Amino acid sequence: MRLFDGQRAWVIQRISALLLLVLIVLATLALPFAAPLDFSAWRDFAGGVLGGPLIALLFGALCAHAWVGMRDIVLDYVQPRGLRFFVLSLIAVVLLGVLVRVLLSLAAVALAA
Amino acid sequence: MKLSIYRFDPESGKPPRMQAYEVRPEAGDKKLLDLLMRLRVQDDSLSFRRSCREGVCGSDAMNINGRNGLACLTALDGLKEPLVLRPLPGFPVIRDLIVDMTQFFAHYHSIKPWLINSEPLPERERLQSPAERERLDGLYECILCACCSAFCPSYWWNPDKFIGPSGLLQAYRFIADSRDTATAERLDFLDDVYRLYRCRTIMNCTEVCPKGLSPSHAIERIRLALLRRSS
Amino acid sequence: MDRHSRRLPMFLNLAQIRFPIGAIASIAHRVSGVLLFITLPVIALLLDASLRSEEVFALLRKLLSSPLCVVAATVPVWALVHHVLAGVRHLLMDVGVGSELARARASARVVLLAAPVVALLFLVWGLS
Ligand code: HEM
Ligand code: HEM
Ligand code: SF4
Ligand code: SF4
Ligand code: FES
Repeated sequence: MRLFDGQRAWVIQRISALLLLVLIVLATLALPFAAPLDFSAWRDFAGGVLGGPLIALLFGALCAHAWVGMRDIVLDYVQPRGLRFFVLSLIAVVLLGVLVRVLLSLAAVALAA
Repeated sequence: MKLSIYRFDPESGKPPRMQAYEVRPEAGDKKLLDLLMRLRVQDDSLSFRRSCREGVCGSDAMNINGRNGLACLTALDGLKEPLVLRPLPGFPVIRDLIVDMTQFFAHYHSIKPWLINSEPLPERERLQSPAERERLDGLYECILCACCSAFCPSYWWNPDKFIGPSGLLQAYRFIADSRDTATAERLDFLDDVYRLYRCRTIMNCTEVCPKGLSPSHAIERIRLALLRRSS
Repeated sequence: MDRHSRRLPMFLNLAQIRFPIGAIASIAHRVSGVLLFITLPVIALLLDASLRSEEVFALLRKLLSSPLCVVAATVPVWALVHHVLAGVRHLLMDVGVGSELARARASARVVLLAAPVVALLFLVWGLS
């Protein structure tokens, strides 16, 4: 079985793009209706049953999407194998770092609530 | 008319340079190729390919004022001066405007550009309905001039691994053919990060095809065929 | 052939190639994607900090509405708007909507113009 074929990455990028689009549009539409944000409201949202999973989903989709996209760019411009491996690893570390950071913050808020 | 033409002589050991020319078009000179033929009388060291002089053989593709096209189909009227002619971008230059097409044709061969049919041979020919035949329109007309592939950024970066718009258009020509039974194998071959999925739908290919074909559309159809198959 | 080709020159001077509008929209999509990627760690850290305490939240809020931050944020705002609009264009073209040359050119032009306009509106709104 081919785990990393061409179509799979392409489909992941489209599905994550659609997800991101929906979330970003929803967030933009909600903005004018939201009360001016204060700390406790923001914390309640991020720690709540709706906000927490939504933010986690947003960042999950973001990282999958950015991984495929950045990988595509590296496949075009970074040809030497060693350098390519280094740059791909760097991108993976950044994205995993972002994901872990966000999940940890959300978990901390949810647990404190 | 003023021209500036890319010159390279492999025997000289010198790097390529741009050479200025001036020719007066005569009555009846309609296309860029007419002018180039006149230039050759002036300077018989100037090298370029041509054969049919009517957009059929695909041999006189070049970069004309920054865009790829066939000299024989490019009207002299409306060309900005000085007219700048260079070889196809991203292809190794053999001499002047002549490029090495070896890799381009290797990609063409890789997609098996012939009908594959495992069914027993019929009494006479394999028949096609008019509707089935119509699906080949916009595909079979490709003359393999390489204008598209040599204008595709994705092909510039990975010319050894990405099949390129021309080869992919040809691949779809056989996928779309009702008489071909190897669609599954063809799709298997194309499902690859490099071969098909380097295309970013830039559409430079469709912009420059001198036959008015749309390789980007063929690529879109291949991707959708792959999607349909796996869903 | 390979050994032979390696010594041959090649014309690939991007400054001397006339790029169609679609190619410009496409490279801008790529640039904006990279810019968003670079912005991601900043967003993650901001999110984390904003949830920590009342004081940090208030500080960030003050900081982010400062003119300097608004001006700096105009770049990622352009990147996001361009990337999303060009992304929607891609998704539609993937399923065959607007993938003929004339309409693809028109949509590329719209995307290239709309993103700077939105970024400018953001700048004016943020500074006022
Ligand atoms: C964070 C974990 C990952 C790491 C560190 C990683 C690393 C790599 C590396 C080093 C290559 C080799 C590139 C080359 O030299 O050709 C590669 C290729 C590739 N990766 Fe990943 N990868 C990861 C996750 C993924 C995921 C989740 C996908 C699918 C969405 C994926 C899809 C691909 C594809 C399609 C290729 C191209 C294979 C080829 O060159 O033929 N990778 N990856
Ligand atoms: C906000 C975080 C985002 C980041 C960091 C990001 C990053 C990227 C990157 C680096 C690429 C590769 C570009 C290329 O290959 O030239 C890409 C491609 C793409 N992005 Fe995004 N993107 C984001 C959001 C979005 C959103 C919201 C959409 C929704 C429409 C979207 C749609 C797309 C599409 C359709 C492609 C594929 C284009 C192609 O195949 O050439 N992106 N993204
Ligand atoms: S698709 Fe058009 S530009 Fe490309 S090789 Fe065929 S005829 Fe030439
Ligand atoms: S649409 Fe695809 S094949 Fe055509 S020029 Fe763009 S990247 Fe190349
Ligand atoms: S000379 Fe044959 S295509 Fe131009």
